[in-house]
Amino acid sequence: MIRDEDIIEIREPTLSATERLYLPQILGGMKTTLLHMLRNLLGGEARTVEYPEQKRDLRVANYRGVHRLNRDEQGRVACVSCFMCATACPADCIHIEGAESPWEDREKYPVKFDIDELRCIYCGMCEEACPVDAIELTPHYDLVGRSRQEMILGKEELLSIFDETKAIKPRKNPRITGYLNTGDRDKPGGCDAGGCDSGGCDTGAPSA
Amino acid sequence: MAKIIIDNEAFECRDGISVLQAALDVGKQVPHYCYHPGLSVVASCRLCLMEMKMPHPKTREMGWAPKLMPSCQTPVRDGMEVRFNTEKVEDNQKNCMEFFLLNHPLDCPVCDQAGECHLQDYSFEHGRSESRMVDQKTKNPKKDIGPDTLLYSDRCVLCTRCVRFTEEITGTSELGLVNRGSRAEIDVFPGVPLDNPLQGNVVDLCPVGCLLDKNFLFKRRVWELEGADSICPGCATGCAIRVDHADEKVYRLKPRFNPGVNDWWMCDEGRFGYEYVHDAKRVTTPVVRRGKDPHTPVWHEVAEICRFRLTEHVREHGAASVVAVLSPFMSCEEAWLLARFVREVAPESALVMGPVPIEGEPQRFPTGVGEADAKFTILSEKCPNRRGIEMILEAAGGEVLSFETFVERAGAGDFSGAWIAGGYPKPWVEKNVGKLAAKFSLLVVQDLFENELTTAAAVVLPARAWVEREGCFVNAGGKVQPFNRAIRSAGGGWHDGQYLHAVAGFDGLYNVGRVRELMAATMPAFENVQSAPLKPAHAH
Repeated sequence: MIRDEDIIEIREPTLSATERLYLPQILGGMKTTLLHMLRNLLGGEARTVEYPEQKRDLRVANYRGVHRLNRDEQGRVACVSCFMCATACPADCIHIEGAESPWEDREKYPVKFDIDELRCIYCGMCEEACPVDAIELTPHYDLVGRSRQEMILGKEELLSIFDETKAIKPRKNPRITGYLNTGDRDKPGGCDAGGCDSGGCDTGAPSA
Repeated sequence: MAKIIIDNEAFECRDGISVLQAALDVGKQVPHYCYHPGLSVVASCRLCLMEMKMPHPKTREMGWAPKLMPSCQTPVRDGMEVRFNTEKVEDNQKNCMEFFLLNHPLDCPVCDQAGECHLQDYSFEHGRSESRMVDQKTKNPKKDIGPDTLLYSDRCVLCTRCVRFTEEITGTSELGLVNRGSRAEIDVFPGVPLDNPLQGNVVDLCPVGCLLDKNFLFKRRVWELEGADSICPGCATGCAIRVDHADEKVYRLKPRFNPGVNDWWMCDEGRFGYEYVHDAKRVTTPVVRRGKDPHTPVWHEVAEICRFRLTEHVREHGAASVVAVLSPFMSCEEAWLLARFVREVAPESALVMGPVPIEGEPQRFPTGVGEADAKFTILSEKCPNRRGIEMILEAAGGEVLSFETFVERAGAGDFSGAWIAGGYPKPWVEKNVGKLAAKFSLLVVQDLFENELTTAAAVVLPARAWVEREGCFVNAGGKVQPFNRAIRSAGGGWHDGQYLHAVAGFDGLYNVGRVRELMAATMPAFENVQSAPLKPAHAH
């Protein structure tokens, strides 16, 4: 039920005479555009690129383009099918089917991993959520397809994007795969595969 | 009623319960693993320790005892004073949690319990944020202990709830605690798998992700599931259950606390007996046959077609030629609506109690006990609502037949118009029943699957599984128990209650509460129908 005290009345502010002209506001809004125009006219540096002949320099480390699924050292999919990315995804575009993994050191792996690249809003929350750094966003942004179905990338496609992009963006932190191998992990100094400077941690799971 | 003081606050509590139970009842969050109100007390997890006032041995003066006491094992006494909010108690909880997690693999991302795990919850509330363990963790094996259950012993906290369950409730004692100290683990005896009709409960009892259900393994993360309060239709016991579903699919059934009926438990037959819900062979659309060609009417026409065909039949053959079979799988509301409609159109019609499936003998647990000592009973009557239908038939009055008499008289050609409600998950149309189809000039059949009756019927209405309907069942003890709808009907469209509501001549949306109010006018048992306690506040 809506109570009286919860109701806030909002009225439009009355406009002054200059505001009612609208011109200052329009010019204010076009300030940046006009500045760029003047700079280009006066022979300054151009702010645009001739895409697709020219391409922008991207910050590879944190540009959020098409996803990839990383492989571990043995070439297997690094994902453990924990559904954290699907849970974190605000656009609900990740669909995973988990199963018991065929490998000794791993409990679970994805048999299906689909990302609907049209639904995705490229927010990078999946990458944040992943406890094993298996899903990452790449600097690829020119993704095209002829149908909606084509834009739903499956596991193999996402893995092949990793193969294509690992040269320009190596896997961030490959320490965690094989974390069920308690055997080598507990060496003094911490993790088995290295690459992690905070020794003694176990997994991305809530630790205790 | 004993009066006790918990954390400087006075509470009244039931006599004969433990302090832990009293604290949980009044809403205190006291961590505990080994305590379960349905099982004996072992006080082994040491998480629920409290401070208690005791008389000084010499001066007899009341003061806080120097040592902590297990609150699960201390019965309440009038005037006793305990506290949980001190540094000492909290230190104990923190230290206990650290020890519980010493050898824990911390594989929450791949653990099915994550999200409903009390190791996660208590670790978050009472634990430390990092492990001080420097030695190698003991890695205990993953064991396949039975046809439906896996045991990941590295996640175990050794609360022994599962061991006590198999000892005290099922009486089968398959599980045991082997070895001692840091090598202790839960295991089955060689050659004796965990395979009793109640074994699924050990998975619910397990406060951590140690015991897992193979049927649910890796299918879904628990936070994606939505629960609907329901009643198990597997037998006449009528266990209160929660139907966990996501994306219009049922993933698992869990028991709800329902004192006096199923307490905290349910049987495996009910737990895994929902597969037919997602059977692709189910009847999902209504079919009308006039002459040879069957066609599928839109749902809004269905009520009118049924009404028209039956009225027409009564005009031609008389009201006494009409019979309606009410299935014990129907909810009380649906049966009432159908009986009301049939009696309205054909006042002299006969009503029939559908066949009641009986399988074997009732199974009582612990094994070998009599009816009086049974802690859980699986009844041989494999339908949820025989008593409800009997109540409806009694209130409806008029001619009421048993199914055998109906088969006999229909075989003799006494009836020419019939409305037969099925909805049995298992094939139920036997040869002598199937043959009756030819005897009726008008046959309306509601059923889940195709059979001899549906292929011959003039109107086929899809019966829905209980998770797609709502209403109430009356269990073997005469308790009226409501159940809610969990998922939408297979193939879309209306469920039984909706179309029977329209067939019975009611306008607007189907509202079980309103139908129940109308029923209560003649049957007071349907007044104020209450669901079992939402959750056992004291048992996780």
